[in-house]
Amino acid sequence: MKTYITLAIISILISFSSCTDVIDVEVQTAPSRLTIEASLDWEKGTLGNEQTIKLSTSTPYFGDHSNSGVTGASVIVTNNDNGATYVFDDQNNGEYTTTSFVPVLNGTYTLEVIYNSETYTATEKLTSVVDISDLTQSRKKGFNDEDLEVNVIFTDPEEEENYYLFKFKERGDLLPYLEDADDEFVNGNEISWYFEKEEDDSTDKIEAFVPGDIIDIEFYGISEQYSNFIRILIEQSGGTGLFSSTPVPLKGNCINVDNPENFAYGYFRLTEMVKKSYTFQ
Amino acid sequence: MKNIFLAFMLFTAIISAQEKYTVSGTIMDSSNGETLFGASVFLEGTTIGVTTNEYGFYSITAPKGNYNIIISYIGFTELKKELTLDRDHKIDFEIMEFSTQLDEIVLTAEEPERAILRKPEMSVSKLNINTVKQMPVVLGELDIIKSLQMLPGVTNNGEGSSGFHVRGGAADQNLVLLDEAIIYNTSHLLGFFSVFNADAIKDIKLYKGGIPARFGGRTSSVLDVRQKDGNSKNFAMTGGLGIISSRLALEGPMFKEKGSFLIAGRGSYAHLLLKAAGEDNSANFYDLNLKTNYNLNGSNQLFLSGYFGRDAFELGESFNSSYGNLSGNLRWNHIFNDRLFSNLSLIYSKYDYDLGIVIEEFDWISSINNYNIKYDLKYYTSEKFKLDFGASGIYYDFDPGQIRPTSETSEINPLSLDRKKAFESALYINAEQKLTDRLTVQYGLRYSTFSRMGGQAMTDYVDDKPVVYNPLLGIYERGTAVGETPYGKSETIKTFGNFEPRVSLAYQLNDLSSIKAGYSRAAQYIHLLSNTTSVTPLDVWTPSGEFVKPQLSDQFALGYFRNFYDKMYSLEVEAYYKTTDNRIDYIDGSDLIGTNNIETEILNGESRAYGLEFLARKNEGKFTGWFSYTLAKSEQRTPGGNAGGLGINDGKWYNTAYDRTHDFSLTGAYELNGKWSFGTNLVFQTGRPVTYPNGQYTYEDLSIASYSDRNSDRLPAYHRLDISATYKPNRKPNNRWKGEWVLGLYNVYNHKNAASISFGQNVDTGANEATRTAIFGIVPSVTYNFKF
Repeated sequence: MKTYITLAIISILISFSSCTDVIDVEVQTAPSRLTIEASLDWEKGTLGNEQTIKLSTSTPYFGDHSNSGVTGASVIVTNNDNGATYVFDDQNNGEYTTTSFVPVLNGTYTLEVIYNSETYTATEKLTSVVDISDLTQSRKKGFNDEDLEVNVIFTDPEEEENYYLFKFKERGDLLPYLEDADDEFVNGNEISWYFEKEEDDSTDKIEAFVPGDIIDIEFYGISEQYSNFIRILIEQSGGTGLFSSTPVPLKGNCINVDNPENFAYGYFRLTEMVKKSYTFQ
Repeated sequence: MKNIFLAFMLFTAIISAQEKYTVSGTIMDSSNGETLFGASVFLEGTTIGVTTNEYGFYSITAPKGNYNIIISYIGFTELKKELTLDRDHKIDFEIMEFSTQLDEIVLTAEEPERAILRKPEMSVSKLNINTVKQMPVVLGELDIIKSLQMLPGVTNNGEGSSGFHVRGGAADQNLVLLDEAIIYNTSHLLGFFSVFNADAIKDIKLYKGGIPARFGGRTSSVLDVRQKDGNSKNFAMTGGLGIISSRLALEGPMFKEKGSFLIAGRGSYAHLLLKAAGEDNSANFYDLNLKTNYNLNGSNQLFLSGYFGRDAFELGESFNSSYGNLSGNLRWNHIFNDRLFSNLSLIYSKYDYDLGIVIEEFDWISSINNYNIKYDLKYYTSEKFKLDFGASGIYYDFDPGQIRPTSETSEINPLSLDRKKAFESALYINAEQKLTDRLTVQYGLRYSTFSRMGGQAMTDYVDDKPVVYNPLLGIYERGTAVGETPYGKSETIKTFGNFEPRVSLAYQLNDLSSIKAGYSRAAQYIHLLSNTTSVTPLDVWTPSGEFVKPQLSDQFALGYFRNFYDKMYSLEVEAYYKTTDNRIDYIDGSDLIGTNNIETEILNGESRAYGLEFLARKNEGKFTGWFSYTLAKSEQRTPGGNAGGLGINDGKWYNTAYDRTHDFSLTGAYELNGKWSFGTNLVFQTGRPVTYPNGQYTYEDLSIASYSDRNSDRLPAYHRLDISATYKPNRKPNNRWKGEWVLGLYNVYNHKNAASISFGQNVDTGANEATRTAIFGIVPSVTYNFKF
């Protein structure tokens, strides 16, 4: 809900600031780092045995981002509670996969990546999530009361602190939208989380939903520590305006045990998740 | 303490008990009876003289004899009167403003804002309201804060931001006083207008350093703004009609000329136009200034003043917000005798905001209230010695935030953050002593205390650490709470006390030049929490306590002052060095909204600032104006301290968000003839420090920016040119109605100054791009001002 407060502050300014344009800016270039996208997500109702970990290197901010995949690394995940190990095979395109993973709710796992003779490790717990009880659509909520939005409805468990991640992607779009939430102000309530695409008047790049549009929704239960990470990531990937927090270097949980200075970007997360799609009427 | 005062006074009274007499009284403007603050009163051919205090009072003691007493003030004709000093006199003087004498303006005889050589007062910018009126303005409204930014050592934080920065200090380190009441937010509409209505203001004084001992509570500066008392001679009306806003002020005598009143209001109506144009979003502001005074007898006078201002925003049906300051002040001036002047003030001020999140059906409200009592005395001991002393107490009530669901169906649970209460008190004494004809010193001491009061529970943390360094991940995390310690209403959570010495001296090299030096220490007990790039009206103040320590600053300054060519030109050069202890900064990913325990989001650090300031003025002639240049550095460092780890930015120094290497401005006014005059501003300053990406990586199919060290990049340089023209139509000599048209052009060459640069992905191509937000392009304005 804090998002709304921040959003309100930002939008107050934006609505009175007259002009935005894309310009050329010179930025610094930091040395390249390993990026570990180790998202082991267990979709409700599946076995969760097929998992992929992506390794890549960071690149200069402006310029070509393709072909940054890392090959030749060793990737192993261990279940700390029973000692089971899962070796992820190098697909030679930056992806490392397994088909034998066994997810356990609240189980603790350790990731080990060896790359360029340096070992990176991370430990995380698999966090559960409640089911989505309903998906509805409306026009009244959101910034614009004429535009369509989808509402994801679920009931927050009262006895614990919960952290959530949503991923919304309209079929045909290039980029997904990430949103994070927690139950600080809404603990134990039935929550209706809306998602609306706001039309960008100046560029016409973003168009509001119209009947017939299909949206894919992913809903994750995440740990508090990952929530701290993804919140900053989302804030900063949405651009950093006048009233947003000063951007910060973002550190995940993947530690370089041989050379701590050379930490890796990305995160080792384990979640339970729900996948749904919705077609606007 | 009291005994020391008495002994002091007695002693100085004895040594001056020769054949000396005192002349005292009030200096006023002959046209409207307004008392004049800072008017100079001196005895010709001697070095004996004073400037009037905030209430126009002066007192001069001199050996028996015949003198010519000379009274001068900016924009007024010098007055010379013969005076036989063979007994104590009480004389009030009225002096005449130029422009009211004749219709044409006689500029050569004007007492200008030239360098004042003899007073040890330094690092002070005094702006006369008439000077402000000659400067070009944005959106047709005079803006005192923007005018101050044309002086050396004062910057803003970019367009669209509230507040201002003095000598590399933060916005919350400025004490802003309107008739002694603390103003917490100095701007309307996010910095587009200042809260000060020029029609209601008499004087503006900004202390950038060498802050007199009677002020305290902020480490960087004091902006002392005084409202007019109101015309005590006849009824008058002033006003202005503009495109965005209009204003009106009424003033006149009351109680058979024993008193007067002033009532001034402003309002914007751009929102009506926006609505008419079918725009859902709107913004508007209004404010009201009130003042009245009553002269009980020659030595007792009462003043009542008030201010109320409000801003309102509406964003369609999604959000609305309103915020504003409210203040009131009752003062009693009492003149004990011709050498002892006193003032007692009872002051209330409040700042609050209300943010309505309509779409989620809740309101977010927050406020800060304070009640203040002050007693100040000034004792004009002898012609060589003046003493100020007094005491003050401020009671604060902070309401950091409440969430109120606005409907039954709201998903939001109600929430109240803990209210915080505190009491700040101070005692001070300050002496101004003329050691020789050339050397004057000012020395004083302030002792301040601050008590954080109970009535709430304080969270206890494991190892007393609200923030803990996680060495594994290399990040700062919130500490683990282990319980709470409740404090009763009569208990004190934490008390602080600080001695704040202040010293300055002026040495007059010759009739034309002087050098001055000063040192001051100041303590600040309340802090504005803001982890955003720019200060917003919704930031919250928090008192010092167990984990947030008072900020302590030490400032050294050295200056050289010189007048040239019969005082037509003047030059002021000052260098300063300032350090501040316990300046907080925010851990990476800090979250201040709705957070009860602020201590889990911050680390205590320090800051330092140093710089060189030049101010050259042309004081007389058809062309007047000034050129100012500041070369400065402002940095901070935030080590891990108790939390462990190296700290923010690995404990290294980094630029503050308000560091400006170069700040250059030129302000000019040209009087073509009685009908036409022109004004111009030219500003150039180094861009604001910001944090840019230094790389990108792919995560969740998105390009994620990795950011470099805090504030290690800069926005492009800021520059702009403004011009204005004022036209005064002919009028009949007997017509009391005076009108003028002011045409203004802000940012003449339409330079898109970046208020911020944001980095993100193009939604179509996925390529990274930098987007600049510029707030003001070229802005024309037309205003019609009138006086009746």
